[in-house]
Amino acid sequence: MNVLDIRGLTKKFGDFVAVDNMSLTVREGEIFGFLGANGAGKSTTINVVSSLLRPSSGEIRILDKDIMKQSRFAKMNLGIVPQDLAIYEDMTAYENVSFFAGLYGLRGIKLKERTIEALDFVGLGDKAKSFPKNFSGGMKRRLNIACAIAHKPKLIIMDEPTVGIDPQSRNYILTSVRKLNESGCTIIYTSHYMEEVEEICSRIAIVDHGKIIAEGTKEQLKSTITDVKDIRIELKSVQGGVVEKLRSIPGVRNVSQEDHVIRIHSDAAVDNLNRMLKQLIDAGMEIRSVEEQEPNLETVFLTLTGRNLRD
Amino acid sequence: MNILSIALKEMKQSIRNRRTLLFTLAFPIVLMLILGLALTNAFSSNVSIGDLKVVLKDSSGGGQLSQAFTGFTKEVGKMGVTFESLKSGMNGREEVQNGRYVDYVELTDQGISLYGSSRDTIESNIVQGMLASFTDKYNAASAVAQIEPTKTEAVFASGGHDYIKETSVNPDRTPGSIDYYALAMTVMIGMWAAMAGSHIIKGEITRGTAVRLVIAPVRKSEIFTGMILGGIVTNMLCVIAIILFSKYVFKAYWGSHMGIVLIVLLSEVIMAMSLGLAASYLLKGAVSSGIISIVVQLMSFFGGAYFPIGNETGGGMMGFLVNLSPVRWANHGLTEVIYGNTVSAAWPVVGLNIGFAVLFLGASIFMMRRREGL
Ligand SMILES: Nc1ncnc2c1ncn2[C@@H]1O[C@H](COP(=O)(O)OP(=O)(O)OP(=O)(O)O)[C@@H](O)[C@H]1O
Ligand SMILES: [Mg+2]
Repeated sequence: MNVLDIRGLTKKFGDFVAVDNMSLTVREGEIFGFLGANGAGKSTTINVVSSLLRPSSGEIRILDKDIMKQSRFAKMNLGIVPQDLAIYEDMTAYENVSFFAGLYGLRGIKLKERTIEALDFVGLGDKAKSFPKNFSGGMKRRLNIACAIAHKPKLIIMDEPTVGIDPQSRNYILTSVRKLNESGCTIIYTSHYMEEVEEICSRIAIVDHGKIIAEGTKEQLKSTITDVKDIRIELKSVQGGVVEKLRSIPGVRNVSQEDHVIRIHSDAAVDNLNRMLKQLIDAGMEIRSVEEQEPNLETVFLTLTGRNLRD
Repeated sequence: MNILSIALKEMKQSIRNRRTLLFTLAFPIVLMLILGLALTNAFSSNVSIGDLKVVLKDSSGGGQLSQAFTGFTKEVGKMGVTFESLKSGMNGREEVQNGRYVDYVELTDQGISLYGSSRDTIESNIVQGMLASFTDKYNAASAVAQIEPTKTEAVFASGGHDYIKETSVNPDRTPGSIDYYALAMTVMIGMWAAMAGSHIIKGEITRGTAVRLVIAPVRKSEIFTGMILGGIVTNMLCVIAIILFSKYVFKAYWGSHMGIVLIVLLSEVIMAMSLGLAASYLLKGAVSSGIISIVVQLMSFFGGAYFPIGNETGGGMMGFLVNLSPVRWANHGLTEVIYGNTVSAAWPVVGLNIGFAVLFLGASIFMMRRREGL
């Protein structure tokens, strides 16, 4: 069964088209990755699905029911973790979860149980009586998740749930996402972090300028780019200006440098490795290692959009 | 159910907002004390009810009304309200304007008309209150007379003393400065609900929580109603707290119609809340809160929250501004209810407040429905 079905969705803000005739299907049991650079239209799509925004045109179905015609059903089965924190700082963690879960018709003992369950799930069980104003960024993010899951939705959409938090909280969140998925939730996961998406998502869509430009499992996505090679050169020290020189070599598409490591994306068909190395040696740099890497999602993204994900 | 839990959440948050709560309660009480003590002399209490003089012109031709009225003047005369006949060559209105009498009463075949002093509002109100209860009695008597003429006398005989009791004026009662400020500050705090109103939806939007409310299976109208309900109850509780404090700690006089007083204040809070809400929808961004708090301050100032602004201002710009202020309406109406025992003075104020509230709420709902989100 399709948990989410988006057909021909367009969302305009005035003349600006934020989502452009997008179609997308998410099946039951998936962790679906939604990748795109800043302003690609990810949040806008999510906001239309969660009925925060009205579509300019197109159709959206959740569990085979139209979200406009059967909005109550759609809302009951949907949990959203918004990109911006949506919690009350002046209410305790418990009160936050309980208040929002109460809006989904939970009452009495059941409401209590679900609230505690959700807090335990994100590891905030012992902070139930604390106020979020005293929480760390990671704890706030986790509470933001707890508020979205207490009513046990079938579909959970997480819009950058790990932005700006410590590695420990991030791992906790990633583990929670997997556990939620194992318990039967379908998840749509948006992130800027390739590694996260690569690690947990079973299927991925890449969005650019409001359109889906590629979709599939990570293997499928990687196999689409046979025409690019990804070369990693480690140097003892890097001199200035070398990046520009490497860029001018025929076939080279993109060069980036991080500390002593230079990464080059180049057309696979052009034999230019020797010229690259010569360039470096002539400039007097000592090469420590050269590797040609397997294409990863970042390569895929760069090839398809011509941009780095985190520009 | 959703409405209730949203309202409760709203109240919980307002009560936890210690700084605002403390300010809302402490500011009026401290001001009441300071202004009340500092301005004691401004409220000369030498005008006791014994000094009330009313000038009377009877052109009804000595009929039943005239007779009944004579009985009435005797009764109230015992309380110190003296009626003097209008002498030829005198102009009743001018006499009142010149301050020699607090009221000018004219009896005609059509009924009783009263021309009150705009200077001695309180005193004039007292007479008005007595007259109102007389006319009630008289009308009752006339009605009885049509059916059972013999019983007419009985109605008057038994009712004679009631003019005073019904108006229940404490003879020594004139508003002292504490009484004045207790009322003025309470009315001002009622108007402060406008500031709460301007935050009520906007606060959800800036905190990001509006998102969660909108995506939940709850109608926008439920969210709206719950929020406003919570705001109204919280603000009304503050108003009541201030009334109780002024009544029992400062011994301020609140009259004998507390229920009516509370109804007027409730209508004021509802109107203020709606005004704030409408402003937050009409004015984009952070500006609305600023504008609303300025407007509320101006309304309080012109409405007489800080010092009494009398009727003398009459026409002109000042008079116009004064009469625009809902604080003024409430102050004026409540003064009549409390000191003049004129319960009917409450209804125009309540009507105006509710009328404007409907207007503001309607405008807000209209704008909210067209918007995406809240
Ligand atoms: N309410 C709005 N009015 C006008 N333009 C908007 C509005 N919301 C979003 N946009 C524009 O739509 C585009 C898509 O925004 P969106 O928030 O969907 O991007 P995103 O993919 O979520 O980006 P990010 O990774 O930064 O969260 C952006 O160019 C943004 O400026
Ligand atoms: Mg976004």
